[in-house]
Amino acid sequence: MRLLRFLIAALLLAGTSYAMAAGKIFPYPYVQEDLPNGLRLITIPTDFPNIVSLYIVVGAGSRNEVEPGKTGYAHLFEHLMFRGTAEYPPEKYNATLKTAGAASNAFTTSDYTAFHTTFSKEDLPIVLSMEADRFQHLDYSEEAFKTETRAVLGEYNKDSADPSEKLYETLRATGFKVHTYSHTTMGFLKDVEAMPESYQYGKDFFSRYYRPEYTTIIVAGDVDPKRVRALVDERWGNWKRGNYTAQIPAEPPQDGPRRAHVDWPSETLPLLFVAWRGPAYSDDTMDTVALDAISRLGFDQNSPLYQKLVVDEQKLDSLGAGPPNNLDPEFFGVNARVKEAKDLKSVEEQIEATARSFADKPVDPKKLEALKEHLRYEFALQLDNSEAIAATVAQYVALRRTPETMNRYYEMSAKLTPADIQRVAKKVLIDKNLDVVTLTPATPSGDAK
Amino acid sequence: MSTLRTAAISAFALALAASTAAAQPRVVELPGKSPLVTIRLVFTTGAASDPADKPGVASLTAQMLANGGTKTLTFKQITDALYPMAAGINGYSDKEMTTFVGQTHVDNLEKFYAIMRDAVLNPGWRTDDFTRVRDDQVNALRVSLRGNNDEELGKEELYNLIYAGHSYGHEDLGAVSALQKMTVADLQAFYRQHYTQANLIIGIAGGYPAGFAARVKKDFAALPAGPADRFELPQPTAIAHNQATIVEKDTRSVAWSFGFPIDLKRGDPDFAALLVAQSWLGQHRESGGELYNRMREIRGLNYGDYAYIEYFPNGMFQFEPDPNIARHQQIFQIWIRPVEPQNAVFALRLAMYELDKLVKNGISQTDFEKTRSFLSKYVNILTKTKSAELGYAIDSQYYGMPEYNGWLKSALAKLTVDDVNRAVKKYLRADRLQIAGVAKDAAALKAELTGSGATPIHYNSPKPKDITDEDKMVEIWPLGLKPEDVKIVPVATVFE
Repeated sequence: MRLLRFLIAALLLAGTSYAMAAGKIFPYPYVQEDLPNGLRLITIPTDFPNIVSLYIVVGAGSRNEVEPGKTGYAHLFEHLMFRGTAEYPPEKYNATLKTAGAASNAFTTSDYTAFHTTFSKEDLPIVLSMEADRFQHLDYSEEAFKTETRAVLGEYNKDSADPSEKLYETLRATGFKVHTYSHTTMGFLKDVEAMPESYQYGKDFFSRYYRPEYTTIIVAGDVDPKRVRALVDERWGNWKRGNYTAQIPAEPPQDGPRRAHVDWPSETLPLLFVAWRGPAYSDDTMDTVALDAISRLGFDQNSPLYQKLVVDEQKLDSLGAGPPNNLDPEFFGVNARVKEAKDLKSVEEQIEATARSFADKPVDPKKLEALKEHLRYEFALQLDNSEAIAATVAQYVALRRTPETMNRYYEMSAKLTPADIQRVAKKVLIDKNLDVVTLTPATPSGDAK
Repeated sequence: MSTLRTAAISAFALALAASTAAAQPRVVELPGKSPLVTIRLVFTTGAASDPADKPGVASLTAQMLANGGTKTLTFKQITDALYPMAAGINGYSDKEMTTFVGQTHVDNLEKFYAIMRDAVLNPGWRTDDFTRVRDDQVNALRVSLRGNNDEELGKEELYNLIYAGHSYGHEDLGAVSALQKMTVADLQAFYRQHYTQANLIIGIAGGYPAGFAARVKKDFAALPAGPADRFELPQPTAIAHNQATIVEKDTRSVAWSFGFPIDLKRGDPDFAALLVAQSWLGQHRESGGELYNRMREIRGLNYGDYAYIEYFPNGMFQFEPDPNIARHQQIFQIWIRPVEPQNAVFALRLAMYELDKLVKNGISQTDFEKTRSFLSKYVNILTKTKSAELGYAIDSQYYGMPEYNGWLKSALAKLTVDDVNRAVKKYLRADRLQIAGVAKDAAALKAELTGSGATPIHYNSPKPKDITDEDKMVEIWPLGLKPEDVKIVPVATVFE
């Protein structure tokens, strides 16, 4: 009832130029518009006062790193974007953000790189202007480039203490032999170590991807879309379109199960990743929503397997799964932390049997309905501030360049049937697609429970 | 020292006396239009109230309540009931506060609240829940913290070194050997003594119906009226000169943290002044801080370097700190993210050198104005969700201070650069440091730390003369460490 009132209030605010939010999962009306140079602007007025959150999504991630020896450059570029311009050298850039009280950071994924800043609404013009400057006029020396590669190595080093990073790195190298999903966003260590000598390649990377046709600006918060558009026209309108398209090699279908193992030098519990090569993200077939449902019905906290292995038998201290959510075909993955190495095999078998059970028989319709309710509330609960709204939209924009894909995705999800789940499970969760990676400490401490 | 100690204890006793007098739950309400409702139940008890032979019992009790069944529902039944609501109950415990927080859509408020209420008022105390939750806590110590996270390990170890022999002096999660001996009866005893109305602050925020808060308060009157916890908080042992502890483990790089206790907490008159200095030196995960600039941006030493005047756990995963970890004693801390072994001692020296510069020179008028402007606005980001705003409001209630956001803005508006630099001189120093490191070859690192030689930085590109000149000073910056000041601890013994 409350949700309905909330939606009606949102609709009353909406003018005719807004995409209508009626009956859709995303409750906020938004304006989506394209500049002549190909830059896309999405403005989302929210009902949270004073704060504005800006997400700039560049459609280049580690997926775009097609040349051998050049893994990790999308992520390096995320760092280099903070190295300044003639108008705003790093000290001035940081000082301006500081005066604005802005929280600013960036991250890189397989498919995209996002730069985000959250600040008070009166600082929108200066923030948009400064961002426009660095996207169009980034200018750093070879010395600054080399120094930044060391900070990237520092990031690799801090991640390297975590065995789950190594497990995931090994899974990717096992499951993908041709496609660029074979490496993580950090890249291979040898490539990270060689980065200081690739100043020119860094320039090429920027010139290829930091272009309006690859970029979407998301502005969410206490804003007026007309005002935002005028600011973006003024500062981003002259940005020159590029002409590069990466030739990303397609991974051939997997021809049978694959396995790998990692010996970890220090104390840890054994880790297990069971994955199936799956499809790409889709908002117009049942593929992704069905695999999402399987990941939750099969492996969430209330699933029979979780209750058996984590709560009753207490053989695991964590279990979770996720569907493929990428531009290109990716893994449906299940990961577990096992208390004793002797249980690894049986846990793996039970995970595989659970996955197969979705192909063998249709799920209980009541459980599916409870899941659909969960998904709707989960989505509503995560939109509790403007920054979270912009961040959520950014994830979807990276896939289809419009918030509308969220609505389409949840519409598909609402229509999902037990038969759909069974059909997709039969297609994806089969031995031919299976990749399994295990990790154990080289010297088990025995009673580390 | 003895004067300070008396002052600190008596001030705290006064604050407690005011709350004990009420002997019923305090309620903090933040009604609003949002369809989401957040409930925070904060008990002012925690690891500082752990009995000496039961470190970790406060934390384990909280985990048992948040992740176990109730008298009427098993954990499985709770999980099933919460699932359609996409809601959950999160429990965590720090030195002086134990918090249960849940968020739900208002559609589900009644169903959700009934479960959350029973989790805290009518715990099930089942043995199988206990075994699972205790295993999780042992694994959190041994594997997640000690095995897989050098940075948090170093930061937590620093607190344990600074507060050795003090009621803050053990890890919140406890010690492995004590956890393994703990029983359900230990948890029940802790629960009976500390889960009292006098210790409880109820926080509710969002679009909840009229009368809801009064009902919650009435329900929680089922708890014993008192007593309120009275923490023994003497001043931590003075650090006479620099001391270092190196935790030895197989790892690629060296993680450092160092610091010392400060006699200052949120709400104190100098808090805003020292906050400006801390933010200027190293605002958490922002690129404008001096340490970040001098260590990462100019020299590429590592991924980042930050400074703190309040406890901020899980900083590697979070941009903003969790509320409801309020403490009456805090430390000043510098966090140096992992450094390549060849530059490890240089990085430590550089951070000490930068701190020394701040202590000697203070900050400039321009930097003061920029940092003040930052903090005046950034406080809105800290409280950007209703849940965080509620958490801060509860903390303010506990500290006996006005609402934080308005209080800080007003305190910042009145500040001058002289106030900041006076606070720097009063509270900060670049000597008498407690240093915690995590490294692979501890003996070699100790030799470097205690040797008389320079420890130059290794660059991969030429640097301007002003930087290389400064490096010459930094590479021989006095560490003040003699061999007997540097302890090496095998990782397997930490938190045991």
